[in-house]
Amino acid sequence: MVARKSPYPYWFVLPAAVVFTTLFLAPTIASFWFSLTRWDLFTTQFIGLENYKQFFREPFLIKGLINTVIYAVTTSAAKTVLGLLLAVLLTSGIWAQGALRTIIFFPVLVSTIGVGITFSVLMHPTRGLINVALATLGIHGPGWLTDPALALYSIVVVDVWKGVGLATVIYIAGLASISPDYYEAARIDGATRRQMFFRVTVPLSKPATVTVVTLSLIGGLRSFDLIWAMTKGGPGFSSDVLASVIYKQYQAGFYGLSTAGNVILFLLIGLIVLPLTAWFNRKEIDL
Amino acid sequence: MTRRQLYTGIVAMLACGVIFVMPFLFVFLTAAKTRHEAQALTFTWPSEWQLWQNFMDVIEARNYMLFLAYFNSTVITVVAVTLLVLFGAMVGYVVQRRPSRWNTLIYGFVLAGLMIPPAVVPTIWVLQSLGLFKTISGMILIQIAYGLSFTILLFRSFIAAIPRDLDEAAIVDGAKPLQIFFRVVLPLLKPVTVTVIVVQSIAIFNDFTNPLYYLPGRENVTVQLTLYNFQGQFQTQFNLLFMNILLVTIPPLIVFIFFNRQIVAGMTAGAVKG
Amino acid sequence: MTSVVLQDVRKSFGSLDVIKGIDLTIEAGEFCVFVGPSGCGKSTLLRMISGLETSTSGKMFIDGKDVTAAEPSERGIAMVFQSYALYPHLTVAENIGFGLSLARRPKAEIADKVKQTAETLQLAHLLDRKPKALSGGQRQRVAIGRAIIRNPKVFLFDEPLSNLDASLRSQMRIELTELHAKLGATMIYVTHDQVEAMTMADKIVVLNGGKIEQVGSPMTLYNQPATPFVAGFIGSPKTNLFEGETAAQEGCRIYGIRPEHLTLSTTDGKWKGAVRYVERLGADAIVYLDVPGLPSLVVRTDGDRRLEIGEKLFASPVAGKEVRFQ
Repeated sequence: MVARKSPYPYWFVLPAAVVFTTLFLAPTIASFWFSLTRWDLFTTQFIGLENYKQFFREPFLIKGLINTVIYAVTTSAAKTVLGLLLAVLLTSGIWAQGALRTIIFFPVLVSTIGVGITFSVLMHPTRGLINVALATLGIHGPGWLTDPALALYSIVVVDVWKGVGLATVIYIAGLASISPDYYEAARIDGATRRQMFFRVTVPLSKPATVTVVTLSLIGGLRSFDLIWAMTKGGPGFSSDVLASVIYKQYQAGFYGLSTAGNVILFLLIGLIVLPLTAWFNRKEIDL
Repeated sequence: MTRRQLYTGIVAMLACGVIFVMPFLFVFLTAAKTRHEAQALTFTWPSEWQLWQNFMDVIEARNYMLFLAYFNSTVITVVAVTLLVLFGAMVGYVVQRRPSRWNTLIYGFVLAGLMIPPAVVPTIWVLQSLGLFKTISGMILIQIAYGLSFTILLFRSFIAAIPRDLDEAAIVDGAKPLQIFFRVVLPLLKPVTVTVIVVQSIAIFNDFTNPLYYLPGRENVTVQLTLYNFQGQFQTQFNLLFMNILLVTIPPLIVFIFFNRQIVAGMTAGAVKG
Repeated sequence: MTSVVLQDVRKSFGSLDVIKGIDLTIEAGEFCVFVGPSGCGKSTLLRMISGLETSTSGKMFIDGKDVTAAEPSERGIAMVFQSYALYPHLTVAENIGFGLSLARRPKAEIADKVKQTAETLQLAHLLDRKPKALSGGQRQRVAIGRAIIRNPKVFLFDEPLSNLDASLRSQMRIELTELHAKLGATMIYVTHDQVEAMTMADKIVVLNGGKIEQVGSPMTLYNQPATPFVAGFIGSPKTNLFEGETAAQEGCRIYGIRPEHLTLSTTDGKWKGAVRYVERLGADAIVYLDVPGLPSLVVRTDGDRRLEIGEKLFASPVAGKEVRFQ
């Protein structure tokens, strides 16, 4: 058998590899080095772990770190639970089920900045539609985006509003793959609707759950657009997350600190997502 | 349909109407109001329809910046998506067809690309050294770099479903690698190509963060940047601000109307395989 | 000991009539097989008995009780699905005990019953495994175990052997028949395979187009088919059926004779024809004769017999084995 050049040449990978390496891999690797420097417009000076120490010393940086985790976990949990419930509702044969799927999914495709601006206006403490509507019911609505204790969570709500449609659609696909036989067998065994949900639907939609949780966690940890459009991390820094901290430090010219933030974000994602994926795959179902 | 299904559906529609549709309606109605009426921020029918006038005002703002923004966004999206499809398909093709030790490495990079947040400041440093910072070409290359992971994943799984026999028949007919790829495989990839184009176009068009970092300044604005920047200017002109939001929402809406199925298929890819 | 009685049971999907009036009695302890071609309604009928499908009209009684409107879990039935429906995330023990766990029985009781059931089916050593680690035959036994543990009045089987390969199928046929003998329970079994029907059933119900063609024991259906459809469906190779002039000559509308009930001779016989094709199966040979006036005549004969294509042969029916339909 004569050795021949493969019809699947390695060089096919080249264009993608060049772009990917230059503009993604190289900077990522470089970021480790730069995070250990005091870096600004003019100089680069090695300072060891100073940037990281600062991160865990300065209140506004620590807050950003904590907020990032809170934001990611709450949006992810909300999207997962609501996504599954909505998917079950929208596959149960109710009236206008197709139209409802479209309506819920559409916000996923809309500009995040547009959504952010719209909801900032709707959430205005006195003139915003939400508080005006609440006032007619006699409820005094809070400063959704002006109250430091509330701002981050208001953004969480908008994030879930925008993103639950994607979770729902993924779950709908997952539910479709569950054979009706499982439900029928449970029905013969006398299972109530609640039992069918928790003991058939939930376990058998695990692949979809893994996807939804992973995607929404990663997205949540990296979230920037919505927060920037709605509060810019304010009031003060009560709604700052790592991504907005990274940007603010960049704007202020503290490139080393900003890059350290990037590395911390990277590590945070790795520390949360990798063990989670491993844990999911350990309890594996083979369908 | 049982009565319960009908009633549940109606209740669900009412709830979704309030939660999901009203914000969009609010945007539309406010975009059609006069400046004075828009400031009231009420959910009311415009007493005077100024849709066209507002539209013109927004376009003319800051020397027709919106035109420039649309032009830039379109160029970036079209070129980036085209090259993404090409590069991504080529990688997906080789990775799927040619089992080798490199494949695990490539896979690792693909997954890394999905997870790792881009190191923005070092990237700016790289762009500057290449003279691509603040340029459209630089932005295009960035979008390609960031979009490759997802694209490769989609193509690889789709190519797995195309039988090798077709490649081999072409080889027997004397086709060279490039020919096999372009004349046999690529045409068969039409469905997933459409999906990739649609999903990536929307993502790149809606991207705010990357243009913010890599295209600062006035010369090379994109649609999302313009919308963000106009916030200050339109503080007292909510009608124009919302008209801007409307204009930014329309392209994805159009794509959604025509390609709903492909969008959903692309985004659920991998959801069920586990 | 329970019987199942169906009275004028009908089912329509919109304007499409799928089950067109079934009257049937299944005696206690019987192994009753519903058999018929695809789309004849046998699975639908089984599912209606189980309660998974509702009937459009008619009544159903299990053990004398009217169950027409009852939920599946209230009918005292258990079902073995074609796909087995074993929950992949549960162990064998958990799968078998699933129903009891839904009913919130105490853990000790569940463990006990699961153990007993597993021993009946030789699954005791597999209790901690997940379905993906089991063979096809083992999975089927787990599905049966899940049915047995319910102590049902009637067992329902929906084509349980279709997913198994041929050798496993014949082995499982024997196991199921032995299980029936051991438990003595009423079993209703759906299949499209007439071999399964013939070998396993006490009573066969042949269905076609939503109606019963014939009900009877296997040998009754074989020797005294009530309709041409039954004559053609039961037995392999298929019965030779003739209409038109040939039938008229025999004094009926449709005339039938089984390939195994025809004898061949080189010298004389009822029909004369030329050998068109021979299939040698080892023990038997199936001979296709071109007889003028007949579409074709299929004869079964000894595997050793010498036959040549084009050879002229005579075929004659064995007395008493002909069937005539008016």
